Amino acid sequence: MAGSRHRILIGTAASLGLILLWEAVSRSGAVSARFLPAPSVVVATLWTMIAERGLLYHAGVSTLRVWVAFLIAAAMAVPIGILMGSVRWIGAALEPVIDFIRYLPVPALVPLSIIWFGVGESTKIFLLWLGTFFQLVLLVADDVRRVPHEFHETAMTVGAPGWRRLTDVSLPAMLPTLVDNMRITLGWCWTYLIIAEIVAADSGLGFVIWQARRFFQTPEVMAGVITIGIIGLLTDQVIRAAHRRWFRYLVR
Amino acid sequence: MSYLEFRSVTKRYGPVEVVAPFDLEVAEGEFVVFLGPSGCGKTTLMRMVGGLEQPSSGRILLRGQPLGPPDRRRGMVFQSYSAFPWLTVAGNVAYGMRYRRDLTAAEKRARTAHFLRLVGLTDFAHQWPNRISGGMRQRVAIARTLAAGSEILLMDEPFGALDALRRERLQLELRRIQREEGRTVIFVTHDVEEAAFLADRVIVFTRRPARILAEVDVTARLGPESTLELRGSAEFFALRNELLALVRSTDEEEEATAP
Repeated sequence: MAGSRHRILIGTAASLGLILLWEAVSRSGAVSARFLPAPSVVVATLWTMIAERGLLYHAGVSTLRVWVAFLIAAAMAVPIGILMGSVRWIGAALEPVIDFIRYLPVPALVPLSIIWFGVGESTKIFLLWLGTFFQLVLLVADDVRRVPHEFHETAMTVGAPGWRRLTDVSLPAMLPTLVDNMRITLGWCWTYLIIAEIVAADSGLGFVIWQARRFFQTPEVMAGVITIGIIGLLTDQVIRAAHRRWFRYLVR
Repeated sequence: MSYLEFRSVTKRYGPVEVVAPFDLEVAEGEFVVFLGPSGCGKTTLMRMVGGLEQPSSGRILLRGQPLGPPDRRRGMVFQSYSAFPWLTVAGNVAYGMRYRRDLTAAEKRARTAHFLRLVGLTDFAHQWPNRISGGMRQRVAIARTLAAGSEILLMDEPFGALDALRRERLQLELRRIQREEGRTVIFVTHDVEEAAFLADRVIVFTRRPARILAEVDVTARLGPESTLELRGSAEFFALRNELLALVRSTDEEEEATAP
């Protein structure tokens, strides 16, 4: 485990170095503090925003939106993707439609989504779902197809009925990649969330950032952005740790 | 009535003829090796016995009954991906019985332990397949098909990825297990020595479309035992060279017809 400790050490040192460099540049006055406030200022702002402006509430609202939309998307994408990947005609039928929608940039669909759903929560959930479902479903379908035929044939020759091959072979065989794909797709959710919250919201981190921009509060903008980064980093690390724990059998 | 019977079995994929009309009878408990150049169609024939492919024409009969879709009577052992990585060694062996309703949970546990012992993996029961050697993974696959109760073991170059020493050990063990358990084996390989060592009977195939080039009754020539001493004997070498000459002749044929 010395290797992984080493990695953490290098990662931390590099990040700290970058922050120190940023602090030095801001303090030197080479760049106006209006454009590039020092990290110490940003951290102080972050603290006031948490204490006085309910930043954690906004962060919570955003996280909730991301997870609700993501869970809906995943709950649909996993079964549909598995069906697309295992039953040939279902894949053939759905793939063109999904491919078409997948290529539409989510921001282009904001107006349509506002016409359909107004400016409430459903618009945001819809946009996030749009951005993740169509990506994830194709990834899932591909993962299912990549399950080695030997696994299926082993199951068939010990007498597994067709549907049991889905639950006993396809699903466990693809699960590690599925979790990885979900982790990556969850990250994309944040991109779409900020777009949705900038366009139509009175809460959430996107709203906070956009408000701060209107008043040229660069430290607040940065504090908002950093909050997203921290949430992302934490989520990612938690899921990675879970992945290592659940799929210990992959370690050679 | 013979045990397993191929009756004018053919296979074509579109315009490509993979198996020419093929006839063969296999006795119960026999160890038959399909020997031939890669891609000659011998694997296709074996997969048809497993029900994983359908003959384009002709029939395969097991005890006089035409074969249906895959079931546990005909178990496969592949060269790679032979064990599920998400199940332990014991879990993989037990998987062979997962869909069997005729066994109680206790019986399944007992059988798992029995077949683990038979292939010498008792100490590795709780290990993950990715953490054991390739040879051990093949033992897991063999134990799984035995636990499933397969009467025919279909083995597709199962030892092809192993080093010489491990391969020899597994060959010895496979022969012992097959004798003890009295199962029928159809074993596909392009390794002449392996064929000579394992088989009761070797079927040498031509290039595609698969046809029988020669049938060699190994038991009649070398006796029923496969031992390491036998491997060093003059008779074994003679037989091996004979098979090698046959396989070579299929190769020359290819060069002669190449443009």
